[in-house]
Amino acid sequence: MTTTSSRALPEVADVLVVGAGASGSVAVKALAEKGFSVVCLEQGDWTPPSSFAGDKPEWELVKQKQWHPNPNVRGGPSDYPVDTTESDVNPLMYSGVGGSTILYAAHWTRFLPSDFRVRSMDGIADDWPFSYEELQPYYERMDREVGVSGLADNPAYPPGASYPLPPLPIGKIGRKAAEGMDKLGWHWWPGANSIPSREYRHRPSCLRYGTCLTGCPAGAKASTDLTHWPAALEAGAHLVTGARVREITVDQRGMASGAVYTNRDGDEHRQNASVIILAGNGIGTPRLLQLSTSNLFPDGMANSSGLVGKNLMMHPYGAVVGSYEDPLDSWLGPAGQSIESMQFYETDTSRGFVRGAKWNVMPSGGPLGMRSGYGGRPVDESWGVNFHRNVKANLGRSFEWGIIAEDLPDESNCVVLDPSLTDSDGIPAPKLIYKSSENTSKLIDFHVDRAREAHEAAGAVTTSTTRLMRDCGWHLLGTARMGNDPATSVTDQWGRTHDVPNLYVIDGSVFVTSSGVNPTATIMALALRSVEHLIAKRQDQAVSSPAAL
Amino acid sequence: MLTDEDRRLFAALADVLIPSAEGMPSASEAAVPERYLDEALGYRPDLETGLREALDAAQGLAPEAAVELLNRQHIPAFEALGTLTAGAYFLNPDVRQLIGYPGQVSTPPRDDTDTYVDLLEHVMDRGQIYREASAEAGL
Repeated sequence: MTTTSSRALPEVADVLVVGAGASGSVAVKALAEKGFSVVCLEQGDWTPPSSFAGDKPEWELVKQKQWHPNPNVRGGPSDYPVDTTESDVNPLMYSGVGGSTILYAAHWTRFLPSDFRVRSMDGIADDWPFSYEELQPYYERMDREVGVSGLADNPAYPPGASYPLPPLPIGKIGRKAAEGMDKLGWHWWPGANSIPSREYRHRPSCLRYGTCLTGCPAGAKASTDLTHWPAALEAGAHLVTGARVREITVDQRGMASGAVYTNRDGDEHRQNASVIILAGNGIGTPRLLQLSTSNLFPDGMANSSGLVGKNLMMHPYGAVVGSYEDPLDSWLGPAGQSIESMQFYETDTSRGFVRGAKWNVMPSGGPLGMRSGYGGRPVDESWGVNFHRNVKANLGRSFEWGIIAEDLPDESNCVVLDPSLTDSDGIPAPKLIYKSSENTSKLIDFHVDRAREAHEAAGAVTTSTTRLMRDCGWHLLGTARMGNDPATSVTDQWGRTHDVPNLYVIDGSVFVTSSGVNPTATIMALALRSVEHLIAKRQDQAVSSPAAL
Repeated sequence: MLTDEDRRLFAALADVLIPSAEGMPSASEAAVPERYLDEALGYRPDLETGLREALDAAQGLAPEAAVELLNRQHIPAFEALGTLTAGAYFLNPDVRQLIGYPGQVSTPPRDDTDTYVDLLEHVMDRGQIYREASAEAGL
């Protein structure tokens, strides 16, 4: 166990936050800056930019193992295993200060207004308990906190404040993709990324390594270890790394009273707190709630609705890669999105399905990533003379139109505790049960067909399609959904659990629907909204012990 | 630890996967068996077990036949062999130069808005494409 501060941990913290990732970072910083005593328990450690391999020759070798986003592949000491034997998609995440923002692509995309009104507008799933307009000010503040580079006046979105930084270069791949979209008359726009196009708040400018998904060696990308934690620690927050929480404890009144955690030496500790905030992502948070059983909560905490762990959404991801005759320098970053399209985002029922997807152009990396020599395919397809021909045809000349398909909430898609698999501390591991729906399958089929047309219009020589990428579960959403009715939701619109009024959830678990865009901007804006409400209403906040709040 | 015999066998298999062709050197000509394989294994020690299985399965077979057998019946071992061979090959700076790949190098961003603003005007001209949620939902 490592505490960042030399000060002793408070016996009873005002607020305990579990998880130092995207949402937990926002909460800790906001609370500490308002003078609350805050302790954050994080099972991972710091990951300094110097540890990333993106600027080293071995990058493509180690990205397939040590820096793989799938914890089951990476198998690091901070990771917990996830049983995926009944899931169409593998979950991707990172345990450490900054959480999965360490390895995310930094696509900084907001929900659209219709995403908050899916039931009202499309007759399916549910509405959110608030509107786009209510979240917009938090989006704009978070744009400034993380340093977003982008271009204003995108006609796919309502008007609003400009981004704090000009857009990153779209590069030759973006220009080529835009030419195709222009021929077809389809929407495209320079991608917004939480990657600074120039020096911003002590972070350097992007250096276009193109390795964002394995960590930014320049220390430019907005991971929250860089954007939030320095200020949080300066304001007095306590951070305990290597602390794996195994249970949220309750007092006799059914209030959350603290957390029991194990450090990396295997020693068990307890941290008491007046208020507890869970920020462990859409798998870690329901897992912890399910682990926290007691006489008062035999089915896990905050689970009177039976919905803890249910409605898991992971954004099935399809992709069409096009190869071109022209050299496009397509190893250049950011990766990151070069350009995006919302042409087919909104529902059009004539397509045979509801909802839609954001598209994003991403670079294609180096030569090892070009090799598709997987076992079982004919040897000469990828090896022998064709090994060289494939490299020459694709390296630097190809890019991906990626498709983030909205998947709708379905109670049969869920996180449960595995009956036999455990993590390195003997704590039951999560198991995912997740199947892509018929609506999603139709959606992906439509979108990959359109994306292929976009490549062909841009002059692609060849295209290759992946309809559902198995390693695509970056977006872990919906497993402790928010809502106004305690019978059909786990938390209220502020992330406070209906059953335990001093227990909050502020990560992607609270999402009602998933949208068809990358969720980090919404996760962090929502976390800010929730924690500022907690602060504003502190006089009314029920607590587990004589109040520090 | 690879023996000299292991390396000879690996070299034969590696040259089936990456032969001399299309103006490019073979794996052996690019010093993969005697140098870059060890570097690659240093970065990916988890692949050594698969490599060992591949070499054991290939004993006594012609290299081409061995590769076919591995691809059909020893898929994890074949993938370890392939990843190490190609990964080691691309560690050679001469190979990178021949394929025109500079590696992931620092490239400070330059504003390229001028290269696409003409196309972006067409997008602007087509106008709003999102649905108004408040009006439609009666909010």
